[in-house]
Amino acid sequence: MSLLGLHLGMAVLWAMATGSLTFPSLLMGIFVGGGVLHLLGPVLGDPRYGIRFYRAIALAFFFLWELFASGIRVAIDVLRPTLSFTPAVVAVPLELRNEAAIVLLANMVSLTPGTLSIDLSEDRSCLYVHTMYGEDPEAARQAIKHDFEERIQEVFR
Amino acid sequence: MNWVELIAGVLLLAGAAFVLVSAIGVVRFPDVYMRMHAATKAGTLGAGLMLGAASIVFGELGITVRSFVVFFFLLLTAPVAAHVLGRAAYYAGVPRWERTKLDELAGRYDEADGTPGELGRPVQRGDDIPYP
Amino acid sequence: MILFEGPWTFLSVATLVTMVAVAVSILVASLRVMRGPSLPDRVVALDLVGLLAVSVISVVAIATQQPVLLDAAIALALIAFLSTVAFARFIEWQGENAE
Repeated sequence: MSLLGLHLGMAVLWAMATGSLTFPSLLMGIFVGGGVLHLLGPVLGDPRYGIRFYRAIALAFFFLWELFASGIRVAIDVLRPTLSFTPAVVAVPLELRNEAAIVLLANMVSLTPGTLSIDLSEDRSCLYVHTMYGEDPEAARQAIKHDFEERIQEVFR
Repeated sequence: MNWVELIAGVLLLAGAAFVLVSAIGVVRFPDVYMRMHAATKAGTLGAGLMLGAASIVFGELGITVRSFVVFFFLLLTAPVAAHVLGRAAYYAGVPRWERTKLDELAGRYDEADGTPGELGRPVQRGDDIPYP
Repeated sequence: MILFEGPWTFLSVATLVTMVAVAVSILVASLRVMRGPSLPDRVVALDLVGLLAVSVISVVAIATQQPVLLDAAIALALIAFLSTVAFARFIEWQGENAE
C-alpha cells in the first residue's frame, strides 16, 4: 500500500505544478498518477496496481449508481398501495478472505437495492443477508456473489 | 437564473423526496428489518444529495471537500449502524414479518454461553446450507 | 435567512420546499419513535432522525450562506452513529439477560 501514498503524493505534486490546488486539478493529478503507476508498476513491484486502481474507480461509480437505484426502488415500494414482497434471510458463502474486503462487501450490500447485511459467521465464511425480494433465494445469493464479491475480489487481488 | 442554482435546486428537491420516502417507509413497513432498509438506503441517498447541493452552491474547494467528507462518513457509518442494530434486533428476538419466506439464520446463535458482554454470533456453518 | 431576503429565485423556493419536506419527515419518523412497538424499531427511527438533522444542517447552510455549519454536520453524524451503536449494544445485552 506504499504505492497508494506515492500516488497521492503525485496527485498533490501535479496540482502544485499546474499552479492551482483545486478539486479538478487534484482529480486530474490522481488520474495522471494512475496512468504513470500503471506504466511503472512492474518496476516498483506491483504490476497490477494500475489495473486495480481503475477497477476501484469503476467499482466506486458502480456503487454510487446502485445507491441511486436502491433509493428509487425504496421509493417505489413505499408508494405502492399494497406491500407485496417476500422478505427472507439468506446465507451467502464468502470467498473473500481479506477483512477489509469483507467490510467493504457488507457495507455495499447494505446500501444497494433490497439487501441488508445482518450478521457474519464466526469463521468469516458466510454473510447473512436480509433481502426484501426473496422469492428466489438462490437468485439473491448469486446476485450478491456476482455483482459485488467478484468486483471487490478484482480490486483486492 | 444560472446553471449552478438550477442544479443545486434540483439536487435539493430530489434529496427532499428521498428523505420523505424513507420517513414514510419507516412508518409503513411491517417489521424492523424492512424499516432499516428504508432508513439506510433512501435516507443516506437523500442526505447525500443535499450535501452535494451545498457543495455546488458554495463552490469552494474546502467546502466541497468537507461535504464529501460528511457524505463519505455517512456511507461508512449508515450500513455499519444498520448491521449492528439488525444483529442486535435478531439476537433479542424481535419478530419478523409473518410473510418472511426463509430464515437461514434461525437457530444459529450459540445458546449455551449466554454470558453477559459476550456478543452472540452465529455458530459455525452447518451442513444444511448447500454451499462449499 | 439571507437567501429569503432577496427576490424569489428557483434556489430559494427549492430550499424552502426542502425545509418543509425534511420537517415533515422528522415528524413522520417521530411517529415511529412513539409507536414502537419494540426498542429496535424506535432506535431505527431515531437513527433516521439523526440523519435528517444532518440534512437540515446542510439545507440551513445553503439558506443562510454559512458553510461553517457543515462542521456541525460532521459532529452530528458522528454522535448519531455512536448513539445507535450504543443502543445496539444495550439491546444485545438486554436480550442476553432477559431470561
